[in-house]
Amino acid sequence: MSDPSDALASAKAAADRLVKVKRLNACLTPTTELRKSLLAQAQLAHPSGVLYGMPVAVKDVICTLEFTTTCASKILEGYHSPYEATAVSRLKAAGALVAGKTNCDEFAMGSSTEHSAYGRTLHPFDKTRVPGGSSGGSAALVAAGAVPAALGSETGGSVRQPASLCGVVGIKPTYGRVSRYGLVAFGSSLDQIGVLGRSVHDAARVLSVISGRDPRDSTCEDRDSLRLPTVPESLQGFVIGIPKEYFPADLDPAVRRACDRVIRLFKEQGAAVREVSLPHTPYAVATYYIIAPAEASSNLARYDGARFGPRFNGAADVGALYRTTRGMGFGTEVRRRILLGTYVLSAGYYDAYYRKAQQMRALIAQDFRNAFDRGVDLLFTPTTPTPAFKAGEKLSDPVAMYLSDIFTVTAISLPIGRVKGLPIGGQFIGQAFLEDEMIEAAYALERVVPSSEEV
Amino acid sequence: MSVTNDEVRHIARLAELDVSEETLPELAAQMSRILDYVAQINSVAASEGVKPFVPGPDAARFRPDELKPWPMAFGPERLAPAWRDGFFLVPKLGQFEQSDL
Repeated sequence: MSDPSDALASAKAAADRLVKVKRLNACLTPTTELRKSLLAQAQLAHPSGVLYGMPVAVKDVICTLEFTTTCASKILEGYHSPYEATAVSRLKAAGALVAGKTNCDEFAMGSSTEHSAYGRTLHPFDKTRVPGGSSGGSAALVAAGAVPAALGSETGGSVRQPASLCGVVGIKPTYGRVSRYGLVAFGSSLDQIGVLGRSVHDAARVLSVISGRDPRDSTCEDRDSLRLPTVPESLQGFVIGIPKEYFPADLDPAVRRACDRVIRLFKEQGAAVREVSLPHTPYAVATYYIIAPAEASSNLARYDGARFGPRFNGAADVGALYRTTRGMGFGTEVRRRILLGTYVLSAGYYDAYYRKAQQMRALIAQDFRNAFDRGVDLLFTPTTPTPAFKAGEKLSDPVAMYLSDIFTVTAISLPIGRVKGLPIGGQFIGQAFLEDEMIEAAYALERVVPSSEEV
Repeated sequence: MSVTNDEVRHIARLAELDVSEETLPELAAQMSRILDYVAQINSVAASEGVKPFVPGPDAARFRPDELKPWPMAFGPERLAPAWRDGFFLVPKLGQFEQSDL
């Protein structure tokens, strides 16, 4: 697919594959509309582009001109954005085809793609299970072979976790590596667009295209786009740290076996392996649970039924219009987070919660810097503590679904084995803006790890 | 930390969010559980005096101040739930509602 002679044939084939996997409810774009758009885009695609003819699905929290952007929420039902994300413009400029909008947790809040106003996405290997989230639709489409790559977004693990549960590659770039222009804001200090791909190479080349400076996002770093590394012969020269806090006593035994196998492969490939400690890891989830809802409550204030999106009518005055529209338009999880965020930011609580959480975050970030300062090039951990869980299993407990590894600077998850047919993921965590080094190691591991074998 | 139904009602008002009376007890219980959980960060004495984390570049950067074409594919009238003569239409303001906050 890297250089098809006929983008039209590629568009037709992609449309056929997307129809075949419709039962997963991973793509929110109606199939007839999608087919028509793919064929039209293929006619206009730039043949000299490095992604010429490559279909790339886009998470529904990223603005596109071709399709609606609903954030899987009723409050944006039918919303057509008047502009598109920089990441999407760059994909199109490189000749890629926007292959529909993918299902996700509403406003990217969740880890199972069960919190979508348009129904849950099924795991491609077992329909009773979840594909992870919030970028679950993107992961499921890639895992089902419908598209070679898809855009996702990550605020607290939302690219890597579904990649891990579905057995595909997921890259979370460093904050500031990819422009957030056109990414609907959730937790602005954490949000970052990421890529899911069927291989390290597919994900990396899409990342390379979408990365780089953008005057439209002042938090995007003034750096060139990512240069793709070459595939190394081995891991000779790499020092890989294994953070002990990521291997707790209750880690799923199969996940532990898969990681042990990877660590043996590191040594066989010539890498030096060292145990390291990230002592503030146990506080990461609590920190996330303050920062993300606080920022979300502020960001989501704009959805009020006054200027765009559906309006739930019958309100006597404008205050009632806001409250009714928001009360009816947001789903349960989003409402819960708005309330929590409003609470921690309310008078008298700011210092106790938000400021304290940002101090905690500084300590967690320092943990990572300390590990890297001691000569470690990369860290390796399981991406998730278990394989894909059953639908409904974790809905009742509000703190059950969060990942603990949310303050990593950049990371790549890749499949490292299976248990009872379900994929297990492992992740490299890299230093800020050293995605190339991390991807190089991922290339080497991908080549030797028996990712489709049981552990 | 235990959040009461009244506190949830007050927070919902601040957030401009209708919350039905029946869901108040469950929301109060869930918020209490989450706040109990996050309280653990207060046990880390080392964070006192630490400079709070700020992501992104050290200083805000500005674009060159240039006139550019309107970057939108279409105007707000296509997005507005109600629109007339260049204005968004909304119901009347109603009375000020500060007294009970």
